[in-house]
Amino acid sequence: MHKGELLKKLIYACITILIVLVFNFLLFRVLPGDPLAMMMRNPRATTEMLEGLKQFYGLDQPWYVQFFTYFKHMFQGNLGVSFLYKAPVSKIVVARILPTLLLVGVAELLAIFVGIIIGIVAAWKRGTKLDVGTLSFSLITYSVPTFWLGMIMLVVFCVGFKIFPTSGMFTPGMTFQTTGAMLHDLMRHSILPIVTMALVLIGEYALTMRNTLIDVLSEDYITTARAKGFKERYVLLKHALPNALLPMITIIAINIGFVVAGAIQIETIFSWPGLGRLMYEALSARDYPLLQGIFLLVTVSVVLANFLADITYSYIDPRIKN
Amino acid sequence: MKRSVKIILAAMLILALTIVPTGCGGSQGDDVSTFRLGSSTSFDTMNPLSSYMQVTYEFFLLVYDPLVRYDEDYDTVPCLAKDWSLSEDELVWTFNLEEDVLWHDGEPFTSKDVKYTYELMMDTGLGYMYSSYLDGITDIDTPDDYTVVITTETPKANMLMNTTPILPMHIIEGIAEKDLEIWENEEPIGTGPFMYDSKGDNFVKIVRNEDYFGDLPEIEAFVFVDYENIDAMAQALMLGELDGATNLNPAQLDQLQKDSNVDVISGTELGFMQIGINCWTDPQSKGNPLLRDKTIRQAMDYAINKQKIVDMAYSGQGIKGTTLINPGDFYHYEPQGAEMRDYDPEKGKALLEAAGYIDRNGDGVRETVDGKPLEFEFITIADNVEEVKSGQLIVSDLAEIGIKVKNITMDSGALYDRIIEGSYDMFIWGWGSDIDPTVILGIIITDQIGGNNEPFFSNARYDKLYIEQQAAMDENERQQMVFEMQRIVYDESPYIILVYSNNIQAIRSDRWTGYNQIPDEGLFFFNMTSLNYMNIKPL
Repeated sequence: MHKGELLKKLIYACITILIVLVFNFLLFRVLPGDPLAMMMRNPRATTEMLEGLKQFYGLDQPWYVQFFTYFKHMFQGNLGVSFLYKAPVSKIVVARILPTLLLVGVAELLAIFVGIIIGIVAAWKRGTKLDVGTLSFSLITYSVPTFWLGMIMLVVFCVGFKIFPTSGMFTPGMTFQTTGAMLHDLMRHSILPIVTMALVLIGEYALTMRNTLIDVLSEDYITTARAKGFKERYVLLKHALPNALLPMITIIAINIGFVVAGAIQIETIFSWPGLGRLMYEALSARDYPLLQGIFLLVTVSVVLANFLADITYSYIDPRIKN
Repeated sequence: MKRSVKIILAAMLILALTIVPTGCGGSQGDDVSTFRLGSSTSFDTMNPLSSYMQVTYEFFLLVYDPLVRYDEDYDTVPCLAKDWSLSEDELVWTFNLEEDVLWHDGEPFTSKDVKYTYELMMDTGLGYMYSSYLDGITDIDTPDDYTVVITTETPKANMLMNTTPILPMHIIEGIAEKDLEIWENEEPIGTGPFMYDSKGDNFVKIVRNEDYFGDLPEIEAFVFVDYENIDAMAQALMLGELDGATNLNPAQLDQLQKDSNVDVISGTELGFMQIGINCWTDPQSKGNPLLRDKTIRQAMDYAINKQKIVDMAYSGQGIKGTTLINPGDFYHYEPQGAEMRDYDPEKGKALLEAAGYIDRNGDGVRETVDGKPLEFEFITIADNVEEVKSGQLIVSDLAEIGIKVKNITMDSGALYDRIIEGSYDMFIWGWGSDIDPTVILGIIITDQIGGNNEPFFSNARYDKLYIEQQAAMDENERQQMVFEMQRIVYDESPYIILVYSNNIQAIRSDRWTGYNQIPDEGLFFFNMTSLNYMNIKPL
């Protein structure tokens, strides 16, 4: 890719982010619901208290003033103060990034890896019992409601087999003597949510991989390769797979971008302290600054992931490069 | 490829083997004297000046001390104030404070802290869960380090119900006033029986204050754990990951009752769930004007089978409602004789007939003389299962007497908007209440229109009594005034109070003892007292 083109793409990415941010700002304010409602629907509250709070959070200003203040502060690196937690948004969001990256990131990697392998095997052994079996597995995990699956996993592994704890990232209130003990505690808490999350994701990857590979396998050049007498495995790995992986990159890039958005349902079932849950809490409380902060982070990572996918494309697909 | 697959599979197997044998459910047993309490409400902030959560109220109750506390009968007992006296004219209170009380950082506690805390809350309006208790105070004087003299404008009946936590002046003084709202108070320093220890993503831990001036808590540490998913919370309790749980649901009550290791209760909680009806007569009101006729409101009250709502929507975990203050409370007024509107659809119909609301076109819905149908919009909050179920029952109850209500659901934020604008007919929502009746009576005074007064109710007599009862130093005299206020509201019916719902809570009785329901039919936790936190101990 030329330098000029790269720059152009970068500029487009920035414009996209900007547009999304403006849109988010307006979207949240179009939503019915006064952010102070949930804060102050309190029998001990007085009307003066309400006014004071409105003033403090700048909610007494017209929306366009709030809009410019928000952008001005954002460019100064200040994302504002959460109505709900009464603390800087950046601080709250940063604390939630790591748990989310751990949960969704590991689950994504696991799902991508397993999903691709299942897809390849299914396509290769098309029509056999193995194909039918893996296809059914993928379809079931793809379509099963996340919340339901989570509850089942919880009942089976926490209540039934008593292998894992039910919630959180660590045992609450525990003081760890060693880092090893802490990691062990973390591992016990994280396996179930990660596996559940991965199960939900595997289906999509497996099905897409299988379909594209089947398409590619019916192309003329595959027949040619086979006619040349190459071994079946060689044809699959060297001729078919590289072409079949292209659509996968798009899906992976999009999904990776959304990793930071967390997984609301999984995080809720397992009381996991991630960004997905935070987003839900912020939305219920109409916590505009916090919502905007989270959306900023999600927007940037989705756009960035797509940008990187574009670049990756041009390296692995020579047609785009030229 | 095949080789790498094998390697990966082997790696996964090893990983699985290393985890499974070491993992096991149940408490880690880091020490036997730590109590873990699960709750579905979480900490917003540890700042008592700006917090307003159920669970933080408990936290502040334990880490800070008020001047006085409540005992198990909700009578006042000394805390930071060891005794007190009231002047002849009932306007000047003198509190004698405990000496030798230390803040958790070792600084001595003095009367200056009391004066500072109260004045800060009164001047700034901060301390959302407390500052209304300071209404009417005109002057606070500290003649010496251990005496506080409080002067009030009129006699202040709820002075000894004021459990506002006393905050450390030496710490808060250093914070600019404009930053107090968002002061994070990351290391809370109080004088209370427990000290803040640590917090994590989903918990806050407090430990026993060994230097406490009063009786020490029996346990060493208490951990508040928040759960997003109450099914998981109930499971955690049965597995022993938790020692106690609050805000459980009726299905879990049944399940937990079968568990011999768990002591589960369904106790009364201060507050109620009600239908709010738009009574606003102002031209700006966008409510259906027919609802301004109290006959229709009363007829609806007759038509609604509240017992059925308790049984079906709340699985029996509550009491059918009448007036603003909970039954069992000294100030609760129960309507008597003919005044009482028990479930009786025929009476409802008769009321409507007599007022000329008759179904004139045979469509099953009554109309006024000039043909306006008794048709109203009825809003319930979408994610509140009990309220949505109640709403559905009410729709069919009202259809029975020829009133058509269209039930729509929305989220609480959207409903709040509609209420504030006065653009609604009817809705279902709830209120949490308090021991001092002033708090709940105050929601529908005329001054609160535009604020908490959701039905836009205005009654001069009610407003007058509201002021007077606050100055009634004689409990019985005050009770009579509060009774009359409840009668007014019951008669006018801006609210139809449906249910006083219960809170379901549980404790692992195989590990703990020394706790009680407070008051008798009340709760283990969230009961406005610190008693169970102080008295609970390992078996």
